Amino acid sequence: MSTQTLDVFQVIADPSRRQMMQLLSKESMTINALAENFDMSRPAVSKHIKIMHNAGFISIKTIGRERYCTLKQDGFNELQQFINYFDKFWQSKLKKLQMILDNKSKLN
Amino acid sequence: MQREIKHTFYFNQTPQQVWDYLTKPELMEQWLMPSDFKPEVGHHFRFTNPNNTFVVCEVLEVKPFTNLSYVWKNDWAVTKTPYTSNVSWTLTPVEHGTELLLVHSGFELFKNLTDHNNGWMFLCNKLGELLKAANK
Repeated sequence: MSTQTLDVFQVIADPSRRQMMQLLSKESMTINALAENFDMSRPAVSKHIKIMHNAGFISIKTIGRERYCTLKQDGFNELQQFINYFDKFWQSKLKKLQMILDNKSKLN
Repeated sequence: MQREIKHTFYFNQTPQQVWDYLTKPELMEQWLMPSDFKPEVGHHFRFTNPNNTFVVCEVLEVKPFTNLSYVWKNDWAVTKTPYTSNVSWTLTPVEHGTELLLVHSGFELFKNLTDHNNGWMFLCNKLGELLKAANK
């Protein structure tokens, strides 16, 4: 099975992956422990984990024979940047509107 | 993490004057983008981005000089970050002018996260902890 590379928005579009992130938001978990919460095969869980890992949402650490998953900031930063973009977009547009209206008032 | 965008701006003009700039395409174009907007509930229209892509919109609410809202969305055809959201404008007359409140909210991709037991809250709290830890 080839590993898909999805962007952050595609990653969070999947309900199972969101649920995995929720579980990981409480504590780091091994892949086996995560898999116990889902009615899907262990390879299917691994695939989701790979996808989240590739998009920067989790990091994976091998301790002994177990692989531990922990939430990571990078994926979330990209989501935040999306919101920040619109924040700046509107702020600059509204400033422009203010200037246009003020210039017009002066002329009248 | 922030899930909606809010801006309050004050204008030295009346709500009627500000309203014109929110609802007349030839005036909207001067500060926002070209569009085929009409102040009619249910009207479908598009803003044209500078790169010739479109923001696809539908008018949701029109209360002259007071309230205006529309759906604001992009889809997979246009962007790798598809989303549906709402843009809402509220005009309030104040002494010597108008208070304009903009709320850009309901980003579908964030809503999906909050649908599941406020999962987003968990994630945001966790993120806060991570950031704090990183700054130590």
